[in-house]
Amino acid sequence: MKFDVVITGGGLSGLVAGTALAKARRKVAIISSGQSALHFCSGSFGLLGKAGGKTLESPLAGIELLPPTHPYRKMGAEATGAYADAAPLLFAEAGITLKGTSRANHRHLSPLGKLRSSWLTMGDFMTFSGERPPMKDCVIVNFEGFLDFYPSYLADGLGALGVRCRTASVKIEAVERLRRSSGEMRAASVARLLRGEALEELAIEINKVCGDADTVFIPAVIGFDSEEHLQRLRRMVGVPLYCVPVTPMSVTGHRAQQLLRHRFGQLGGTYLLGDSAVAAHMNADGSVRAIETASLCDDYLEADRFILAGGGIFSRGIVAAPHKIYEPLFGLDVQATDDRDRWFDADFFARQPYMSFGVATDAAFHPLRGGSAVENLYAAGAVLGGADPLTEESGAGIAITTALHVADLIINS
Amino acid sequence: MEYQVQNISRDNFEQCIKCTVCTVYCPLLSVNPDYPGPKQAGPDGERYRLKNPAFYDSALKYCLNCKRCEVACPSGVRIGDIIQRARIRYDRSPVKLRDRMLANTDFMGTVAGALAPVTNFMLRRRIVKQGLQAVLGIDSHRTFPAYSATTFAQQFKSLADAQKGYPRQAVYFHGCYVNYNYPALGLDLVRVLNAAGIGVRLIKGERCCGVAKIANRLTDSARADARHNIKAMQAALGADADAPVLFTGSSCAFTMRDEYPHLLEVDNSAVRSNMMLASAWLAREVERGAVKLVFKPEYTRRVTYHTSCHIQKLGWAIYSIRLLKLIPGITFVPVESQCCGIAGTYGFKKENYATSQAIGAELFDKLRRIAPDVVACDCETCKWQIEMSTGIKVENPISILAEALDFEATAAANR
Amino acid sequence: MVFLKFFERRQLVIQIFLCNFEAQNTIMLNNTQLLKEYDVVIIGAGATGAGTARDCAMRGLRTLLVERFDFTAGATGRNHGLLHSGARYAVTDRESATECIEENMILRRIARHCVEPTGGLFVTLPEDDLGYQSTFIDACRAAGIDARAIDPAEALRMEPSVNPAITGAVTVPDGAVDPFRLTTANVVDAKLHGADVLTYHCVEELIKEGDRVRGVRLRRQGSQELFDIRSRLVINAGGIWGHGIAAMAGININMFPAKGALLIFGHRVNNVVINRCRKPADADILVPGDTISLIGTTSSRVPYDAVDRMDVTQEEVDILLREGMKIAPALAYTRILRAYSGVRPLIASDDDPSGRSISRGIVCFDHAARDSVEGMITISGGKLMTYRLMAEQAADMACRKLGVEAACRTAELPLPGSEEEPKPEKKRFRKSHIIELSTNQLAAKGRHGTLSGDIDFSRDSDDALVCECERVTAAETDYAINRLEVNNLVNLRRRTRLGMGTCQGSICACRASAMLARSFGNDVALADLASFINERWKGMRPVGWGQTLVEANFSAWIYQGVCGLAPGKTDTSAL
Repeated sequence: MKFDVVITGGGLSGLVAGTALAKARRKVAIISSGQSALHFCSGSFGLLGKAGGKTLESPLAGIELLPPTHPYRKMGAEATGAYADAAPLLFAEAGITLKGTSRANHRHLSPLGKLRSSWLTMGDFMTFSGERPPMKDCVIVNFEGFLDFYPSYLADGLGALGVRCRTASVKIEAVERLRRSSGEMRAASVARLLRGEALEELAIEINKVCGDADTVFIPAVIGFDSEEHLQRLRRMVGVPLYCVPVTPMSVTGHRAQQLLRHRFGQLGGTYLLGDSAVAAHMNADGSVRAIETASLCDDYLEADRFILAGGGIFSRGIVAAPHKIYEPLFGLDVQATDDRDRWFDADFFARQPYMSFGVATDAAFHPLRGGSAVENLYAAGAVLGGADPLTEESGAGIAITTALHVADLIINS
Repeated sequence: MEYQVQNISRDNFEQCIKCTVCTVYCPLLSVNPDYPGPKQAGPDGERYRLKNPAFYDSALKYCLNCKRCEVACPSGVRIGDIIQRARIRYDRSPVKLRDRMLANTDFMGTVAGALAPVTNFMLRRRIVKQGLQAVLGIDSHRTFPAYSATTFAQQFKSLADAQKGYPRQAVYFHGCYVNYNYPALGLDLVRVLNAAGIGVRLIKGERCCGVAKIANRLTDSARADARHNIKAMQAALGADADAPVLFTGSSCAFTMRDEYPHLLEVDNSAVRSNMMLASAWLAREVERGAVKLVFKPEYTRRVTYHTSCHIQKLGWAIYSIRLLKLIPGITFVPVESQCCGIAGTYGFKKENYATSQAIGAELFDKLRRIAPDVVACDCETCKWQIEMSTGIKVENPISILAEALDFEATAAANR
Repeated sequence: MVFLKFFERRQLVIQIFLCNFEAQNTIMLNNTQLLKEYDVVIIGAGATGAGTARDCAMRGLRTLLVERFDFTAGATGRNHGLLHSGARYAVTDRESATECIEENMILRRIARHCVEPTGGLFVTLPEDDLGYQSTFIDACRAAGIDARAIDPAEALRMEPSVNPAITGAVTVPDGAVDPFRLTTANVVDAKLHGADVLTYHCVEELIKEGDRVRGVRLRRQGSQELFDIRSRLVINAGGIWGHGIAAMAGININMFPAKGALLIFGHRVNNVVINRCRKPADADILVPGDTISLIGTTSSRVPYDAVDRMDVTQEEVDILLREGMKIAPALAYTRILRAYSGVRPLIASDDDPSGRSISRGIVCFDHAARDSVEGMITISGGKLMTYRLMAEQAADMACRKLGVEAACRTAELPLPGSEEEPKPEKKRFRKSHIIELSTNQLAAKGRHGTLSGDIDFSRDSDDALVCECERVTAAETDYAINRLEVNNLVNLRRRTRLGMGTCQGSICACRASAMLARSFGNDVALADLASFINERWKGMRPVGWGQTLVEANFSAWIYQGVCGLAPGKTDTSAL
């Protein structure tokens, strides 16, 4: 099968690149071996939260503090900012509402009631800038028996910000059924049931416990497939209502994945879910000729350009063996050390060197193979080396901006 | 020293990082809370069953074997296989008479087909349906597909001689449904392939692929059939070792390609790469220019494609969609891939009827809203389920192709 | 501060439970009303200390068990969990071998719920001398161990994971023993017999009157509060740390810390213990333990001051895998969950201070006779297998010294949880129409034996899983928190296996933390959550590749990324 562009990796980066290319009328295929890491996203995207030991108010201002091999440095602060600003529209077209700008990070609540800072946050959640959130008196509502939401931690966190909190729990008949299963009262299962009449029942229950609170917080379990359900619930509840992320799996992450994928399909893109790239076939000149997949067997995916967006160690775009870090599909050069003693910090919460392992690329995001750039291959997202997405709070930002950047490079070439 | 370069475990059960994504895509979970879900039933449960078989949970019988958990798994865990293997290995309860009947499609087809007019008349009577529900536990809402008085294999005999005259050859595994219930689909395929210059051979003594026997734990019998089928398939290929073995049922194709080695431990490597869904193979042939199709100009239809669970797992839905899109008169409306709930014999069982319909409800709604002239689908049991539940006609892409094809012009183009 | 809160809340909980349970004969006993003077204070709640407390209490001594951290925090919780048949020592140390097989048979009776009688194999590899086998079998038989040579093909049928190239195989009555359950059951029984137990209390100094030890000065961890407990006798069961305790009395015990590292595999690779039929060496025992398998151990001398900071090195991992793969080839590719190490308290005999002839036998010192210090006994050496015998010897000596005449009954009376079951329990089933236990209840029963009947599954939400990998329900978590001296997630892990499974806590730790927070408060519980994640990381790091690293990365995204968790001021991970 022949395409203009074949992308390996169907997560945030692959989908953003694919969507941008499909919008530019390129024939694109995405290979996705299973569902992506977007399912674990809290509903917020970081562009850059910390750099050079500083907590950043403005993400773009921190780019110059990053090491020179960092993807943002390769694109430059200005281009990074431009791609960042182009992103919300792309998400909006897919049906995903995002709040925030690249000029300033905003704050939001974590499942444990800690304050996090981000660039973009989905409309389900409460965001604020400055010291205090915009409420005085809130009620935190949980479903009885739902273990992945922590009202008392949240109440403490909000309390520390000067918000008076009450907690309450509600029983919804449709959700009660789930409790017969010992392991499946989880966010996604609840979200699938909270629609239609169950949503009306929930609104009634929330209104009952709301009292004179000015704000209601509930676990992020509304809207399995669209934002519509939350909008309906909000209309039925008397006061402002926000979701708080729960521990994974994330309903909002799932929704974002589905909506992005749907959008990509609408634009004519081909998404091969559950298939996996098993081998890359190269031309004599070192460029990529085709990708072989597990399901399509001898029907190789040929293309003019290829994008590697297979993610980092978490998504196995980069693999760690006991004495080796490698990129499994193309055998690309990696920015990493093979000495395992240098992969880790003894403190789990400190910066972990392994998290910045990834493929090495030239300035134009062509990965290196045996020291030379593969000219028709581009790398985007977490597979890129040189960044530490977790401590920098830059994971989603890198995924989105580098994806838009390589899409641009392909469109303009 | 090289060690631990890869982590290997049976069905990759230990690749599981407990991310719980599989549970999100299990169609059963939100409608049947008695089912522990793919993660617990699969890799989590497996650790405990390895410790002690007493940890086998009889609720694993609710699994549809749709494999959507496997498609969703980012770690390559064969969750569905783990669950089915556990059922085969640890479930020691006797197989019910009803399940044996549902699973023995060949036997039932032969008996019912011989008495087709009577059988079909009877199976449509309310009283008979109620009797089947009361005595055997076959849900009375279900109607057995009508049995054909003459099987496809018998009907094919008159065409067999002509097949040798074509320059290219393909082997066709028709499966029980085409043979006993719906020979028309098989005949459509033969006509289409013939027009494309391809002769068709059947597999001598073809037996059921085993999907129903596996689902109903008749593993030994399924394994014997599997060994026989693989041998017979090789014999049918004969000297044409590269000829395709085509299927019109996605579950037959999936079972023989993947369940044979994974669950039945029957080696199919000699013929695995030959096995292809007919619609997928044709789409490929057209794409590479080896086959030309010419369509009737007056043919117009609004078509949507339902991705059956097993074609989703095979990853070949794109081919069927491409094939449909080749037909100029077709307005194609996509619908999200979702389980329809029937899962072969599963939905026929009285105890599963409500679950089966609840799983499919969302899909039925979507299809009713789209209101296509026809739903294209590569799976026969999905066809029954969707037709029963929505009243919308469901056809195999091959039949749609046959309807749209200008046979004479196609034959001329491929000469 | 963290600990202060721990203990204040703890006591509140305890008091509440006292009101609720005093009338019943339950395991929740008085932890707050300490006596002014005890007959014996036992230092160290490993298996030996817990066993000694049980034995002393059963003989009617007023007993206090003191532990600076948690039960099983030392070597007890850091070994193979092998129910030795003694065969391993048969050739080199007949006495130990005999002790082992006798204790083995006793534990099968008294600790049914902690023991799994898997059987064991001693296999000869092509590179090993098959001639050793007959020496081995003879020595086993002489020690009373039922060792039988079988055909290697038969061994492969018994245990398919064994290297098919083996040239010889011998069956022995090995098994698996869960040291956490075993110790907890001893503590529970000690308390049922009137003993008091203090965890998270450190012996600051020994109270001496002249040459006589008259008690202990304790420091409450966290609050740092000091108080004295007087006793007629102090029993030092501090394992490797017993060296320091003895030093407080001015006594020198020649201890040689020997570090042993082990690897935990993600599932049961084998269902029969596999040993290598040669002189004991590195990585020659593969033990199935609950849902996992363990390979070990290495053996290296470490300086005494390093015993509190043991990390498993790359070299040790290499040795364990290289040798382990030889007895079970699957180890070359089976996922490894973590690595850990323990320190054996080996003691040189007194007539050999150089340490050349180190024994693994039991050492029981009456320091009055040995060092002219009255009122103190040290029980050490030995191994998990012989903990009961060690306890018996220590208690015998204690009784002798205190002039009490009472026989040891620990070999006859089953531990709580291991009693014969009168009839199948039916009343507690959540769904009355189901005859069998749910798999979750079955898992709980495996961990708590007959005591699992005390777990209240009466509400729907009780059967909800907290830890999915190890099937720990909300009900079992509550039971452990309320009844089994749980102060933090590490304690909870040891009592229930929560967080010990494939995901190493990335899914369950947060849920369990919220449950602990109900008793201990949010700040304490959140700081503890961070400590727990760090404690899990410590074991994952040495084997941080493949899916184990993916798992750690997943955990990092959840806890640091999504949750924004940061370590608290106090790190409880070592406890």
